[in-house]
Amino acid sequence: MPLNIAVLAKASLDPNMIRTRGDSLVDIEAMPLALSEYDKNAVEAAVQAKEKHGGKVYVLSVLTWPPAARRVKELEQVMREALAMGADEAHVVVDEALIPGDPLATAEAFAALIRKLGQVDLVVAGEASMDMISSQVAARVAALLDLPFIGFARSLEIGDGRVRAVRDLEDRLETVEAPLPAVVSVTGEANKPRIPTLIQVRRAFRKPINRYSLADLGLEPPAKPELGEIRVLTVSRKNIILEGDNLEEIAEKLIDALIKEGVIKA
Amino acid sequence: MVKALAFTMEPGLVAELASHTRRLAGEAVLVAPKEAASKAPAGVYTKAYILEAGDPAAFAAALEKVYNEYKPDIVLTIASKNNTTAAALLAAKLRLPMLTEALEPRIEGSTLTAKRRVLGGRAEASYRAQLPAVLSLARGAAEPLQEAGGVEAQPLEAPQPRVTLLESKEKVREAVNLEEAEIVVGVGRGFRSREDLKLAEELAQLLGGVVGASRPIVADYGWLSEDRWIGISGKKIRPKLYIAIGISGAPQHMAAAMDSKIIVAVNKDKNAPIFQYADYGVVADLYQFLPVLIKKLRERLNR
Ligand SMILES: Cc1cc2nc3c(=O)[nH]c(=O)nc-3n(C[C@H](O)[C@H](O)[C@H](O)COP(=O)(O)OP(=O)(O)OC[C@H]3O[C@@H](n4cnc5c(N)ncnc54)[C@H](O)[C@@H]3O)c2cc1C
Repeated sequence: MPLNIAVLAKASLDPNMIRTRGDSLVDIEAMPLALSEYDKNAVEAAVQAKEKHGGKVYVLSVLTWPPAARRVKELEQVMREALAMGADEAHVVVDEALIPGDPLATAEAFAALIRKLGQVDLVVAGEASMDMISSQVAARVAALLDLPFIGFARSLEIGDGRVRAVRDLEDRLETVEAPLPAVVSVTGEANKPRIPTLIQVRRAFRKPINRYSLADLGLEPPAKPELGEIRVLTVSRKNIILEGDNLEEIAEKLIDALIKEGVIKA
Repeated sequence: MVKALAFTMEPGLVAELASHTRRLAGEAVLVAPKEAASKAPAGVYTKAYILEAGDPAAFAAALEKVYNEYKPDIVLTIASKNNTTAAALLAAKLRLPMLTEALEPRIEGSTLTAKRRVLGGRAEASYRAQLPAVLSLARGAAEPLQEAGGVEAQPLEAPQPRVTLLESKEKVREAVNLEEAEIVVGVGRGFRSREDLKLAEELAQLLGGVVGASRPIVADYGWLSEDRWIGISGKKIRPKLYIAIGISGAPQHMAAAMDSKIIVAVNKDKNAPIFQYADYGVVADLYQFLPVLIKKLRERLNR
């Protein structure tokens, strides 16, 4: 049975590229966006399912960071990455009323977009975005569309109109099953995201990216919590690189330093 | 007066939840599995509902009924995976805002303020929301409230779940306490096999420390148990000395080691981000450096 699969993929602030203004205030506008780490696992899971069962993979994204005018290009680049991995079409929602993002508003936009796409058999997302780490959007989308939800899946398998997954909880692994259509969030362990080849990257430029506003989706601007300032938590470190003519000398220096710091005893 | 609906699918989190509920609310009810609901302290809750854990969606559907009857100002839980999932499902149905892993929640009038760790745990964001709202509170932020139970507990029905459980397997547990360890030796993907972790174990033993690891070592490869997982999705450590070996220094890992007094990094890549987080850095191949360090330590420590 061919499957229509929607992947929720976020253009996230990259936590490896934190930029600050003044002392510790995070300068959001100066930080680049990248495809969220575990959303790559979601794209991979969707593409693998398509390879096995046939069908179509839609990659969906809601822009959540300002400034919208400039970020649209970055969002498209992020979508190209998912398209190069094997998704067929991208559908993005860009609207000032959704920026800065909040799981409540983002999920409502996704739910409306999925309804608009028509028959979707499976929705896949990452367990959490790498910037805001809320683990809400996939569950919210399931609730809004009234679909079964499996969160934190470390593997998934589709067959006979059902999805079977292993839910990775703190103290146990649960093998669970739900009828399709369903929503699943996958962990970083679910698979190894493929690195697209140059040809795939090039081919991705010919795949469509469709853009929607809230009005296109028939939605009112949602009320959302107010995101105030973001401050980086810093601990100052000594940042001393130990050097020497050989490893013996470096080891000696390290041991001396640790004794002097009082963290090991001679 | 603030009215709270508190819930937990994990019975073990009930005392921590009671502590937050007492601080935030003037009146509250609890929904939890029997062993937890029967212990609901009368000083915090006016009523408890017994609801067995099962599937988060079925649990959330039962919670929704209590919500609509009780009409609370706030829904409170403690952030386990299932609790956060159930909270998000409930929040979506009710169109309520929700904060995951919330810290320092405060309510003034009808306004809620709280903080959250974001950007891989390396930064803190401030939020303001209008009640009613849902809070999945960060674990370990409140002293558990140990108080005798005694409120009336009434059973609650959950609908038939659409997600069916076929099998449940307990994870392997070890008797290590990474969170309290004074010396931690962290291992990452720089190690090429499980066998090779012996090098780190020997170093840890020599220093009277404990071996911890990055997420891939535990979750991808399964080389060590989850009790040794350091990071925002694992354990938070605060040792006197953290020696991170073959770990690149991802924010999600380092955020949980920020309270270490001294951090040492051993990595063969001089540009690895870990060196920015380290007090002392050694740019070397761990397979060459660790045997030398171990030998020198034996000499110096007479062990
Ligand atoms: C939502 C979310 C939550 C996450 N939670 C966590 C978490 O809780 N904990 C966690 O750890 N990660 C977490 N991660 C993953 C994190 O982003 C990184 O992928 C992970 O920490 C990398 O692990 P690593 O440093 O062992 O591996 P790598 O990043 O692959 O680093 C390996 C390092 O070893 C060095 N190396 C290789 N060979 C040698 C050698 N012979 N000698 C010396 N050095 C060598 C390399 O130079 C490299 O720097 C999370 C990610 C996300 C998105």
